[in-house]
Amino acid sequence: MELDYSFLEKTLLLVLLAIPTTLKLTVVSVLAAAPFSLFIALVRLHRRGALLRLVTAYVTFVRGTPIVLQILLVYSLLPSALKAGAAGLGLSVDVFALNPVFYAYAVFTLNTIALLSEVFRSALGNIAPGQMEAALCAGLTKPQAYAYIILPQALVSAMPNLCNLTVNLIKGTSLAFLMTVQDMTATAKIAASYGYNYIEAYLDVFVGYVLVCSVVQCLFHYAERHVGRYRLVRQKQG
Amino acid sequence: MLKIRNVHKKFHHIEVLKGVDITVDKGDVVVILGPSGSGKTTLLRCMNFLERADQGEMEFDAVHLELMAASSREIAQIRKKTAFVFQNYNLFQNKTALENVTVGLTVGRGMSRMQAEAVGMKALIKVGLADRANFYPAQLSGGQQQRVGIARAIAVEPDVILFDEPTSALDPELVGEVLAVIKQLAKEGKTMVIVTHEMKFAAEVATHVVFMADGNIVEEGSPEMMFVCPKEERTRSFLRRILPQIEYNI
Amino acid sequence: MRPFDPYFIWTVIPALLPFLSVTLAVAAGTLFFGSLLGGLLAAGQVGGGRMVRRLAQTYIYLVRCTPPIVMLFIVFYGLPKFFMEAFSLDINAWDKIVYVWISFTLLFAAPISEVMRSSYLAVDHGQYEAAVSIGLSPRQAFFHIMLSQAAVVALPNFGNAVISLMKEGSLAYTIGLVDLIGKGQLIISVHYGARALETYLALTLIYLVLTLGVEQLFSFLEHHFSGLPPSDAAWHPVKPGGEV
Repeated sequence: MELDYSFLEKTLLLVLLAIPTTLKLTVVSVLAAAPFSLFIALVRLHRRGALLRLVTAYVTFVRGTPIVLQILLVYSLLPSALKAGAAGLGLSVDVFALNPVFYAYAVFTLNTIALLSEVFRSALGNIAPGQMEAALCAGLTKPQAYAYIILPQALVSAMPNLCNLTVNLIKGTSLAFLMTVQDMTATAKIAASYGYNYIEAYLDVFVGYVLVCSVVQCLFHYAERHVGRYRLVRQKQG
Repeated sequence: MLKIRNVHKKFHHIEVLKGVDITVDKGDVVVILGPSGSGKTTLLRCMNFLERADQGEMEFDAVHLELMAASSREIAQIRKKTAFVFQNYNLFQNKTALENVTVGLTVGRGMSRMQAEAVGMKALIKVGLADRANFYPAQLSGGQQQRVGIARAIAVEPDVILFDEPTSALDPELVGEVLAVIKQLAKEGKTMVIVTHEMKFAAEVATHVVFMADGNIVEEGSPEMMFVCPKEERTRSFLRRILPQIEYNI
Repeated sequence: MRPFDPYFIWTVIPALLPFLSVTLAVAAGTLFFGSLLGGLLAAGQVGGGRMVRRLAQTYIYLVRCTPPIVMLFIVFYGLPKFFMEAFSLDINAWDKIVYVWISFTLLFAAPISEVMRSSYLAVDHGQYEAAVSIGLSPRQAFFHIMLSQAAVVALPNFGNAVISLMKEGSLAYTIGLVDLIGKGQLIISVHYGARALETYLALTLIYLVLTLGVEQLFSFLEHHFSGLPPSDAAWHPVKPGGEV
């Protein structure tokens, strides 16, 4: 197939240089979402009533709508909402001067909060109840039991799903170009539009994503091995 | 030292405890026997509030509590004075044997790491597992895990240790090593309440035997009396099934 | 800033609904061809030689690293170029939906092959042994015994994959296909962007109904095939918006 190889090379470099933006979107979203997701998971596991219904509705909504629609919604809603909110607080915000990446962080974090809460919910739900009982009997308070015993174990069992979630989020950030954020896909699109070298540009960005996803999966593999080292194969000592 | 009166507990409309009283004095080894469904495990779990009784009172060292209405602070205080050994060990999977023993001391009671490790090692030596201190539960056999569980219980120096069928989940060859540890603790005068099926062990170690059935205490007394000449027919038929070789003289 | 008009949501829905057929056609076509390809991949991984297995695994790995929109663009821009150079065929006249079908089939086949493979492996091999021991041929044993049981095991994950597919299919508008969102964008541009929020909310409503409907369908199917009497059967609801 005839490809413009010099363009291919040049654009690959551009795409690779955009990897930090993609990673920033991913990492910030996951870290910002984590406390909220943990809260939602705990509510769904241990509470009843209005709070449970609210939280479940939120998760159902996010999981039932395409992310592209969430992006379009937030992108058209957030500027006006921000302006109204700021006006209510007596500030004036020039919403058009705001870096669009802020909207990207907002959407991906809101999305991740719901998806991550499912990961936490299943991981926490799979911890044997005896662990909490033993911790309480040993004199720990509930928060201490969570911090020292429950959460570390939940983290390990959540690793594979966490890896999946992160990889899916990385792929999801490819839609950030809809909010004029300069991630990997946006860079490729812009480069392609100059000379109509579409296929070369998208092949480059494909390579870029395979690279990023592979590294991330590798990191998770080692992370799982490291935090899960207590789950060793049984060596019968007799 | 520990008195419990009139404990009632229902699970989904089934009354599992129908008004049970138990007294435990310092140095006692109280063994609770009975068929499954008798409520003995539930009674034990009510003692340190792993189950919340529907009714009843507790008197622990002059502190008086209502079992149903006890606040979390009162519960925490009771748990500081007791320790529990579980049927399925419930060791903290993400901690080594030594860490399992010290977590209650460092996190639960604010002891310094060095001091806790000294206490912890002493406990592990007592149960014969000093060389496995840095092993994770996944690397230990069932008997070893249970012994770590016992070390975890004695390290916090409780007034009473509660044992919930400590050997029921073990392979037969591993039962002996755990019973040996408990016998040693009894010899040292530790106060214990043990729910068990091991009759010979119970006969050797108990200072007081309680037989429960259908949520009530049917009979209680010294081991000689209970095992050799029980008064109630229910007790007799239970023991007959478990210990066919014991003869009763009138 | 234009005032938000909730009534508009109500009026725009009938304008959008005719294009639901396009969205559903995308999903149905992808489901059909993607399951075929996925079945091939799964068969290759389970029964094939080392080379075949390696190929299948590499394909699945690469596809799982690819964002759907990138796949869409690669197929949309790459396929005409490839056909032109390889076969001197001008396929630019093909309907956009064909490109959508091809892209999403390639994407969907990967997770679906994993679903098929894992559900097949989950069926106790003893079932197959019992079947051949009473005289069924290996082929019959596979089709009559293993496959039907594997299908039941696969249902929840299959349902999750279908819901994922419906959500991913919404990207088709980016290459110009006029499906639900495509029509939505047209409506928005007719109103000079003033009714964007209302239109997106209407689309959200439609998608929620769709995904919840599919979720209920699969819940019903799982319940129906669970083999348990109606009063005892435990519900295993497919999670809305499920990921595989």
